[in-house]
Amino acid sequence: MKLSRSRLIAAASLLVALCAIASASSRPRYGGTVRILLHERFNSLDPLGDDDHPAARDRVCALLFDTLTQMDAQGRAHPRLAASWRADSGNRVWYFNLRLANFQDGSVVTAPDVVASLTHRNEGWRVTPVDQQTVRIEVPVGIPHMPELLALSRFSIIKRSSDNSLVGSGPYKLNAWQPGERVALSANDDYWGGRPYPDNIEFQLGASLRDQLLERQLGQYSAADLAVDQLRPLEQGNQNVQLSRPSDLLVLLFLQPDALASSARASRKPVDPRVREALSNAINRNAINNVILQKRGIPASGILPQWLTGYEFLFPGGTNLDRAKELRSEAAGLVIINPIALAYDFSDPVAKLVAERVAVDAREAGIVVQPYGEPHVANKSARAGMNADAVLLRLPLESVQPAVALAAALDDMGLADPTTAPLNAGRLEDVFELENKSLADFRVIPVAHVSEAVWLNNNVHNWLQGPAGDWNLDQLWTEGGR
Amino acid sequence: MSLKTKLLLLITLGIAGSVGTVALLIEERAHEAFRNIELERTATLVDQFHREFQHEGNEIIHGVESIANSDSMLRTAMELSNGADVGAYVNEAQNYAQAQRLDFVDLIAPDGTIISSAHWPARFGYKQRWFLDRSGPLPQEAFLRHVETAQGNVLGLLCIRPVKTHGADYYLIGGRKLDSVIQTLSPPAGLRVSIYSSPEQGQGEILGAAKDSVPLDKIMPLIQDAMQQRDASKTIDWGPGLLQEEIVHAIALPGFSPDRVPAVLLVGNSLQEELTLEKRIRNISLVIAGLGVFLGVLISGIITTRMSRPIRDLADAAAEVGHGNWGVRVEQSSKDEVGRLAAAFNHMTEELMAQRERLVQTERVAAWRELARRLAHELKNPLFPLQITVENLLRARENTPEQFDEVFRESTSTLLAEIANLKTIVGRFSDFSKMPAPQLQSVDINEIVRAVVQLFQAQLTQRASKIEPDVQLGQVPPVSADPVLLRRVIENLVLNAIDAMPGGGKLTFRTAKDDKFGIFELADTGKGLTPEECERIFTPYYTTKQHGTGLGLAIAQSVVIDHHGRITVSSRKNQGTTFHVELPLADGMGLEEKKTNAAGATS
Repeated sequence: MKLSRSRLIAAASLLVALCAIASASSRPRYGGTVRILLHERFNSLDPLGDDDHPAARDRVCALLFDTLTQMDAQGRAHPRLAASWRADSGNRVWYFNLRLANFQDGSVVTAPDVVASLTHRNEGWRVTPVDQQTVRIEVPVGIPHMPELLALSRFSIIKRSSDNSLVGSGPYKLNAWQPGERVALSANDDYWGGRPYPDNIEFQLGASLRDQLLERQLGQYSAADLAVDQLRPLEQGNQNVQLSRPSDLLVLLFLQPDALASSARASRKPVDPRVREALSNAINRNAINNVILQKRGIPASGILPQWLTGYEFLFPGGTNLDRAKELRSEAAGLVIINPIALAYDFSDPVAKLVAERVAVDAREAGIVVQPYGEPHVANKSARAGMNADAVLLRLPLESVQPAVALAAALDDMGLADPTTAPLNAGRLEDVFELENKSLADFRVIPVAHVSEAVWLNNNVHNWLQGPAGDWNLDQLWTEGGR
Repeated sequence: MSLKTKLLLLITLGIAGSVGTVALLIEERAHEAFRNIELERTATLVDQFHREFQHEGNEIIHGVESIANSDSMLRTAMELSNGADVGAYVNEAQNYAQAQRLDFVDLIAPDGTIISSAHWPARFGYKQRWFLDRSGPLPQEAFLRHVETAQGNVLGLLCIRPVKTHGADYYLIGGRKLDSVIQTLSPPAGLRVSIYSSPEQGQGEILGAAKDSVPLDKIMPLIQDAMQQRDASKTIDWGPGLLQEEIVHAIALPGFSPDRVPAVLLVGNSLQEELTLEKRIRNISLVIAGLGVFLGVLISGIITTRMSRPIRDLADAAAEVGHGNWGVRVEQSSKDEVGRLAAAFNHMTEELMAQRERLVQTERVAAWRELARRLAHELKNPLFPLQITVENLLRARENTPEQFDEVFRESTSTLLAEIANLKTIVGRFSDFSKMPAPQLQSVDINEIVRAVVQLFQAQLTQRASKIEPDVQLGQVPPVSADPVLLRRVIENLVLNAIDAMPGGGKLTFRTAKDDKFGIFELADTGKGLTPEECERIFTPYYTTKQHGTGLGLAIAQSVVIDHHGRITVSSRKNQGTTFHVELPLADGMGLEEKKTNAAGATS
């Protein structure tokens, strides 16, 4: 068969045109607004402050504020505001060389700015500027994973002005902020890493499940974070859903340390360790995972997930009702067992169901658990005044570096102990020992590791979700742009 | 207590008793009527509850059957029976419960495992086999049963239906809280409804609006009676601050198992209104009773006054008759028994007057006959010598003058003597007829006695058969008497005593006193009197002596009676006779005497 020249030219032209169209749809574009629904509300944009939902807040803060370093999916630290770093042999003194970058108000990011920001965190470190571009951090005990640690959002570099407004050097600038309702960001044209593609990113906070479904059906939004119980119908509808690895820790945390047992000033007495152990044995983690979490998680026996550390299986986490009853009886012979008031995040229906299931399982062992909803469960300072024996927390995995992740988790739970700081652990075995020690008294009862899930509109591209559920929106673009 | 007072008291008691009885009857009737109303109200409310219960049960059955027969449920059951992941259906029950407005929905696997629970979503995976363990078919009607929830056991009205698949059946249990049934009831004022829920484990509790106002300790015996499958009712006093008294009916409500009562319907009927009405009725009854008693007393007072007046008049008249006034008459004011009594009284007094008149006349005739007999006897004795003497005188005229003169002298002497004797007899009768009225004065009876003793001293002691006087005078106040007549009485008694002791003896003079009378006694030791003689001794012209007029003691009695005193005689045959004279004390002297005695006592 022999084609005419004109037909060949036409066919070639069509092919080129199709290729051009295909290329145009996959090539990043500037412009457009990315609208994101978050079902949790937060009332502050300060990553150093306490909030009811710090994980959701930190997602926004990551766009507003830079950290000195950043982590990749493999847990390696990479330069961000710090172009390079070095440490002494004991990892006690660290030097970070800053890249040339500007705050969103146009001022240059200098070493004194970084020192002021890190000092504000007040970790007990000695932070000093060496010169305009070099910061020296001296810590009492060596921290081998200092670069990984400084990648946490709580070490964001923030310039605090006299009117208490916060200025960062992130890829987006704050455009509008209605606490608990809405955050509007606009692209930072002067960002050192280059202007982001979208012109704007808008976060709608506190959207209910019904609202989320409605908004998604309307297609007005680009993305929404999801609870695990929402996944099945979306997946069945072939919607674009991204799941992280089971990273978030669903954990029961007993608020009163045993040291308070003899304190008459404590509002509630600590729950007897035998009862706590009995409760841990009574909880049917598989049922919680299979039914409530819709198999989007894994039963947890440790603080850090098995996929991250490889040693979680060493911690006991199975259901042993007989042992639970035995422990409970043992405790009943020695102390008066009061009902355990268990607080959960009242805005999280999954947490409610898990708490109720814990109560059901505890009941089988003869332990009375009274779950009730609280708005400030994740707020560390609010927990101190809470009239609960235990809280059910959902803690994000803040780092894929085990030592840093454990340190962050313990800090989030208010259990950070300088003498056993995992940050000083150089080896994984040390981290295991520290985690084992943290779990030994059953003040912390891991329940499950849960995946982070996000629904994405088809017009959103390059939405990258790390293994720990963190969002990397550096390359994000939307088809609504120029 | 007078007859009028007695009648008044009797009538008052009668009226009060009658009114009180009527008031009690009214109160009892009212109480009974209220109780009937209360029972009717309760029965109406219980009927309403049963209707609502039935209606609610039908709605639940409809809801559960709608779910069980829905395509989605059938599809779910099919998927599950084909081995679908049960975790995907954990929220199914909640959706169905919302759609059918049910409080409880459980989707249960053939082996009893809970797949999804609307009221306790976290309970998935646990077993619920109570309906599988039951022998016989599943109930088609709604039934009561306690449902386990996170908050505890809740009493629910449930329905169970199988969901058919090709394999084993799945089950759907749905229902509503029983509170909602109670809330749909609209009890009338004063009634309230609640339900006692009795779970198999744990403490029972009261459901409904009365939850906080029903102390369980007071009502538990009643509930326990009802739990024995029998209805019961009891009046319960809740104490101050609550609804006070209430009649509570407890009705057992059957459940899934025929052996156990899961709940008891409590219908409380406040007695506050009834008590208020009963109190009002009681107050009105008391007022009416009070008025009735007052009016009754008033009217009965008038009636008894009118009734008792003729009787009182009769009593007064009878007293007058008793005092000797036989001419008294009472007014016959009516024709009833009292009137007839008055007529009979008047007739009686008239008869008494007539009989007295006849008696007087009879006695007068008898007296005249006795007088005539005595006169004839007395006069006949002197007349016979007179006749003999005159006949001797006539015969003597034939004798010689000397003889005649001698006879004449003797005869005239005899005639004069007998004529003198006749004059004496006539004088005595004249004295008796001319008995003077006593001139009463204060007299010392002892002094008179002493004077009489002195007078007769010689006569008593200087005769052949000596009579020894014995004077025993006591302290006697002055008596009210005529001293001349009193002395004549005593002298007469002394003369009689002397006649009674022809062979001598002892004559005792004795004086004394009692409260009202001065007393004089004269006792002899003569032959004495027979009882018949004692009875007749004071009868005029009666005498036991050969020569006597029979007027001495009659005069003595007449004198003593005229002194408002009394004379009696006592005697024993052959032992002597004693005359006993009582004379009233002189008032003034009596008082003085009394003062003297009183002064002596105080000194």
